[in-house]
Amino acid sequence: MLRIAHPRSVLVGLALATVALLSAACALGAAPKRDFIITAAKPDRLFVIDAAARTIKSEFKIPEANGFLGAIVPSPDGRIAYILVNKMESISGIDLDSGKEVFRANLSSPGERVKCLFAFDVTPDGKELIVYEVPVRLGLSEYQVEDTRFAVFNTRAGVDAKPLRQFAAPRRVHTLLSRKDGKSFFAIGFDLYEFDRATGKQLNQKGIRNWDYANHATPDLLAFWPVSEPTGVFATPIYSSVPAPSGSGDPVPKTALMTLDLTSGDLQYHDFEDTSALIFSAVLSPAKTEAFGVYSQLSRIDTRTNTLARRVELDHTYYAVLVSTDGKEVFAAGAMCDVTFFDSTTLEKKGNVKLTGCTDQAITSPRVIRR
Amino acid sequence: MSGMKPTNRKAELLLDAAEAGHVPEVVAMESVAGCATTFDPGWEVDPFGGVASLCQPMEADLYGCSDPCWWPAQVPDTMNTYPDWDAGKPSAQGDWRELGSVFPKK
Repeated sequence: MLRIAHPRSVLVGLALATVALLSAACALGAAPKRDFIITAAKPDRLFVIDAAARTIKSEFKIPEANGFLGAIVPSPDGRIAYILVNKMESISGIDLDSGKEVFRANLSSPGERVKCLFAFDVTPDGKELIVYEVPVRLGLSEYQVEDTRFAVFNTRAGVDAKPLRQFAAPRRVHTLLSRKDGKSFFAIGFDLYEFDRATGKQLNQKGIRNWDYANHATPDLLAFWPVSEPTGVFATPIYSSVPAPSGSGDPVPKTALMTLDLTSGDLQYHDFEDTSALIFSAVLSPAKTEAFGVYSQLSRIDTRTNTLARRVELDHTYYAVLVSTDGKEVFAAGAMCDVTFFDSTTLEKKGNVKLTGCTDQAITSPRVIRR
Repeated sequence: MSGMKPTNRKAELLLDAAEAGHVPEVVAMESVAGCATTFDPGWEVDPFGGVASLCQPMEADLYGCSDPCWWPAQVPDTMNTYPDWDAGKPSAQGDWRELGSVFPKK
């Protein structure tokens, strides 16, 4: 076509080629990527929300959710959402295009009740799911507490998945996060533990409750929202106190931001205020220069100076906070039946999506995928 | 243990076990998320000694407490003991009138 030297023909040819290329790109799913919020609501609903359009793109029914919806973990390609259901005894994998259940691990078995208290994650290659299990043997006249353990499942095992391997785990784990190289994973409990993914060997232990933070009392931590997107760094508020500056009187309560870099394993804590409001969960901005925390207020924390930069009152309590991949918006979700969109600089409300039927998200952990 | 005083029979057993050197045999039932292992005050008073920092409205927190058995003395535990307490009532804000009290079974 380009051998015909007529300029108009060349332009037509280029235009046709461009259209053909764009069509091919669209067919391969290479359209510009967008942020979608994945959340769930009682009794058994899974929602995919187009963040920019402020609309519910899809709504699916999760089989046998049994009225309970816990942590959500998206597959690395954003095509499957794994969600803790059935009173913490099952993990269901829902295909986010078809709504079909493509994975299911029922953790309990006859005589043994197994709960997963929020802590599970998918490996970065998408091939395995690592689940923290709290088992109890149910006898006729007594319950026998068994040792806690990690169970590893093949994500392609279908809807009757059984563990590939299991290994010993510490007690009191409530968050599990894969290291980005896929070779190990972190378990957050009283301390931060790291385990080899293949063998279960403990590789590392760093202080959380036993932290080494000069002059600070033993901290308190509530971290059920395993959000590390878009930075690959998990962030959570952590509460402590320091002695009164005068040397006598009540200690001064402090709120710090704890961050765990899932690539380097670096664990840090930095006070940013004398505790003046509760924060349930937090997320780092893409540039890692700010963090956002939510509860009945939305807070913006400057992580360069470790100071509270801005705080606004919300119209109700939210448990979970997310940030858009471009860092321009903050999403508050969880607890009740809506997702609210805020400008990340002014914290001004920009939009709201009410979930169908206005049923509670409760303790589910909404996530952002980019597709 | 010297600074703690048992307030029920199970706690007395724990104290006895500690005195007899058997503490390692006593293990917590669940994690920090599970039934009655949290010592935070809740529902009555916030960490600042008031009520302004409790969840707003309280219905926002109701299923967040019943689902993980967070404060089972104040909110029925749907994780194990009263699994159907909120069945058919998926909105705490809309369905609160239908949520009943629960009583231990003898």
